[in-house]
Amino acid sequence: MNPEIEAAINALENVHRIENCSKDEMTGLAMEMTHAVYPHDEMFGPFCTVEEYIQCPAQSAYDYLADVYTLSEWTYSLRDFTRMDADGMTVATDKIGSATKIYTKIKTNPEAMTVDYHCSWDQGDELWMIYLMRIVPAPLVLKREGCVVLWTNCHHPYYDQNPFPEKSPPGRNIWVGDMWPFFYAGHWLELQNLKHILEFRYKNGLPMKWNGPPVEGE
Amino acid sequence: MSPISLVGAASYMPRRIVDNRFFQIEENEEVHVMFRGVKLRHHVSKDETAAFMIDQAARKLADRLNLNLQKDVDVLLTNVTLPDQPFTGCGAIVCHGLGIRPKWVLDAHNGGCVSFLYMIGWAKAIMATYGAKTALVANVQNAGGRLFSQEQNRYRKQARIPGDGCGVGYLVANDESPVRSIDFRTYGEYAADMNAIRDDGVPWYEPSTHSGYVDFTEAKIADIMARANRMVPEVIKSTCKQAELPLDAIDVFITNQPNRIFLRNWREAVQVRPEQHVQTFERHGNLFGAGLPICLEEAVETGRLQPGHHLVFGGFSHAGDYAAAAVVHWKPGGN
Repeated sequence: MNPEIEAAINALENVHRIENCSKDEMTGLAMEMTHAVYPHDEMFGPFCTVEEYIQCPAQSAYDYLADVYTLSEWTYSLRDFTRMDADGMTVATDKIGSATKIYTKIKTNPEAMTVDYHCSWDQGDELWMIYLMRIVPAPLVLKREGCVVLWTNCHHPYYDQNPFPEKSPPGRNIWVGDMWPFFYAGHWLELQNLKHILEFRYKNGLPMKWNGPPVEGE
Repeated sequence: MSPISLVGAASYMPRRIVDNRFFQIEENEEVHVMFRGVKLRHHVSKDETAAFMIDQAARKLADRLNLNLQKDVDVLLTNVTLPDQPFTGCGAIVCHGLGIRPKWVLDAHNGGCVSFLYMIGWAKAIMATYGAKTALVANVQNAGGRLFSQEQNRYRKQARIPGDGCGVGYLVANDESPVRSIDFRTYGEYAADMNAIRDDGVPWYEPSTHSGYVDFTEAKIADIMARANRMVPEVIKSTCKQAELPLDAIDVFITNQPNRIFLRNWREAVQVRPEQHVQTFERHGNLFGAGLPICLEEAVETGRLQPGHHLVFGGFSHAGDYAAAAVVHWKPGGN
């Protein structure tokens, strides 16, 4: 490391390295920061992360999540997906907003086992509701069979204000961001759906991929 | 079970007041965050034995409550951090000094920072079982003067935290100011994380040139903090629930006072305002078991605790071996 840059970095406020912060000081900071309880806003204001252990192999969980149509099974309210167009876009109904259309593109990385859903209510030109998921093999991190799913959502400014009110279906008087204070609860419950559905499918040898909008009987 | 009431508290604070300079090797020395926040503390001198301190506090209490100690103490319970005598305890000496002959005397050595609550629990049991009517419970903390003022100990980073003092409380078998619920937890798995030690490893009862002191397992600091964050709010909440007292109905909150971060965390966990949480950490340091009765006296004397108030005690001892809480509907005199 360039010593001048390093010195400048060590001088930055809020940078704590063993070079500029002793172990005692570090313990002190950690103690200051460790409370018994935290206000909800402090925990889930700008970001909302949920995580869960699932008793099914990481690859199976990845296959399931990487198939955009399974959203109609494990989410609380996304239903009636159209077949993906040439651009990779699917349109579904988010029944939490009655007739609200939700536009979704999926971006996956099989090697890293990341699955990102880029979504938006009402329009597909700017997909700003982005759900970042990562599947980690549990043998690595928990020394047990199965996998861990990490799911993060960032508090995009559009959650606070609908940028395209003219695109709302008539008569809808709620906005997806109104529910931000419930996102932790909502996403945790959906993650429980995911866990129990995946465990059920895996245990019973049911398919982990759909490859198309759900058909009758699936 | 028959009701028991907590009706008063009094203290004796040792004469010698020590400021932070006593513990500093050099001026402007940085203090580890765990040990910040104390400005003053009392240290016992040699003549301030545990028995003497209890005697003084008990006389003050008797004056305040108009007690005739010779008649009005059926039960005497004591807890002393560093006993005057390792074998005998100080209860009998206290009795002799006060001229009292209670039928039940118990010198309790465990329970540490929540031993005041344990003694209330035992007093309640003795009253219910044997029909005793009154109890004097006494806590003495004297590890500051006796251990941490020693030349080999005063520069240790934890030396500035313990402060000495004696607090006594008075209990009667009626419902004038009832203890509405009281509960206890035992976590034996944490008992070995705090120890009386010497740097040469020689046990306290064998000869050595090294001073004895009390220390925590350094590697366990984060874990001790996590367990304090967990176990104290848990026992407080469950004890309040037993008393059917919603947390937002707590008027006055008293905990043991090991450091300012635990005080903050417990207060936040039960969501009481700082002015409701009576504590004297800045001027008394960690009073161990004496903290609860001394803070009770503080709450009464400053008028922060008023008749009709719901008073909640809680805390844990040592490195987490015991935790306890109690709910008192404070109305001495039965108003």
